[in-house]
Amino acid sequence: MTRPSPFSVRGRRALMVMRDEREISIVRRQLNRLGMAICEHDPNEASPPDEAVDVIVLDADTIPIKSDLAAAWKSRAPIIALIGTETPSRLKWLLDLQPASFLVKPLRSAGLYTALVVAFDFAQRRIDEAAHIEKLEDRIRSRRVVFAAVLQIMRGHGLSETDAFALIRQTAMRHRTTIEQLSAEIVAVGGMPNRTTRTA
Amino acid sequence: MKKPSIPLGLVFSQSGPYAMMAGEMLKSALMAIDEINQSDQFDFVFAPHLRDPGGVVAAYHTACDALIREEHVDHIVGCYTSASRKQVIPIVERTERLLWHPARYEGFESSDNVIYVGAAPNQHVVPLVRHMLDHISDEVFCIGSNYVWTWETNRVIREIVASAGGRILAERLLELGETAVDHIVKEIVERKPPVVFNTLVGESSYSFMRALHLAATRAGLAIPMLSCSLCEPELKLIGSSASAGCITSSAYFESIDRPENRAFVARWKARHGADSNLSVDGQSTYVCVMLLARAIRRAGSADVAAVRRAAANHRYDSPQGPVWVDPDNNHCFLTPRLARSVPGCQFEIFWEADAPERPDPYLSNLDLAAIGTRLEKGNDTVTRRSNHLRVVK
Repeated sequence: MTRPSPFSVRGRRALMVMRDEREISIVRRQLNRLGMAICEHDPNEASPPDEAVDVIVLDADTIPIKSDLAAAWKSRAPIIALIGTETPSRLKWLLDLQPASFLVKPLRSAGLYTALVVAFDFAQRRIDEAAHIEKLEDRIRSRRVVFAAVLQIMRGHGLSETDAFALIRQTAMRHRTTIEQLSAEIVAVGGMPNRTTRTA
Repeated sequence: MKKPSIPLGLVFSQSGPYAMMAGEMLKSALMAIDEINQSDQFDFVFAPHLRDPGGVVAAYHTACDALIREEHVDHIVGCYTSASRKQVIPIVERTERLLWHPARYEGFESSDNVIYVGAAPNQHVVPLVRHMLDHISDEVFCIGSNYVWTWETNRVIREIVASAGGRILAERLLELGETAVDHIVKEIVERKPPVVFNTLVGESSYSFMRALHLAATRAGLAIPMLSCSLCEPELKLIGSSASAGCITSSAYFESIDRPENRAFVARWKARHGADSNLSVDGQSTYVCVMLLARAIRRAGSADVAAVRRAAANHRYDSPQGPVWVDPDNNHCFLTPRLARSVPGCQFEIFWEADAPERPDPYLSNLDLAAIGTRLEKGNDTVTRRSNHLRVVK
């Protein structure tokens, strides 16, 4: 799958969580120019709409700090925060939402495209990082299996730990599988599996 | 009865690296103002106030500030480079004035306080790259001046070419004003790329075209060159033979065969001499002043909001053909054209769009899949895909 370029925004869906009519019209106009789909939500309504969106443009000033409303926006699409008040109390609240990018009010047509590109790039990186972390966690989980397989090969072939690991790694490469997978097979059959066909 | 006078700001650099082009633009602005002032079609006159930033970027802000505070202008016509426009935008936005911007540019901007009369990237670079892919090659050598115009134009070229399965053979950049071009000319003659895309500006471009012409002639090579900015006065500066053969994309050429343009060129030559030439930026400056005057007439006032509303979708049959402002983004519907420069410092137009094209400053409607059809290469012939381009010659 080719990843979407953060620069091409046409067809992506934006949710506007804003109150100020003048600012809504600026954002709506610019999103239209960019060919994006738009839906809107009143910030004071409790539950955000269920439909999937690619980015949320959220006016930070419209949601009271001491309220549960902010929690509803967490870990959904990337958030572009519109900022009017720069007090640390408001910014602390904002940091909890982990905004992907921000714009300082009053809004003008320039700036939104940059905020969108940064937000889409941020979201993609977050997906990539999550996938990477999952892979690493898988590896950590299978360390015990790899260790058991190395022991097995050391005993069965009379090899040092380094050589046993090298043999497993080379065999895994030849069979186009991962060290973790081959190790699981070694542990299961009690020795190096006798493979004649390569797995894809 | 004496007509009321409306102050009009003009910001053009009369010295500095692009003084030649800015001079052409000023001449066109003054010509348009004289025509309006002498016409009974308009019940007002423009009082032009000229400021000369001398090609210094920071001076544009000062110039516009002075025009607004001292001359009380609501409308300013001017700027040639993007750097100067970016200086002016904050002040026209803050004071709710309108900048009428004549030059084509790289896009990715849409201020409510600018009317963009020059071409947007879908109207200049995209048709040229499409032509290159369809008729020349999908492998291109890029050379340009090291600033935003080249960076963004090259990005667009790269994106379209890559999606068509082609590639950028090289991307060479020269500092603005740099005229030491021999090392790049040598590289081109040695590598013999199928086509060179030239986004150099001013003296750098003139030196490069002269040097490449000389070296290629000596080596018996004919390498096609492409440009989105070359214009008639530049052909003259480069020289008749060195400037010939460049395929150029523009909304205006002096050779456009329309009654409005023939009359316009005749008026220009009567004013500036038979050996003077029009340019895309000059003509566009004329169009700026005309669009403004017609919008003021329609609005019944020079008030910025009223003029902006009146200009929207108000068609003007200009020398380059029908032009009107798209209120969605304040850019103009224009007709893209492709031409080949010929000896005698003129352009021979070989293609134009069927109708004025909607401006797309963010290239958000650029359909790479439609352009990016791979060239079918087989037994020396290249099969061209059919397209909607219309040949006019």
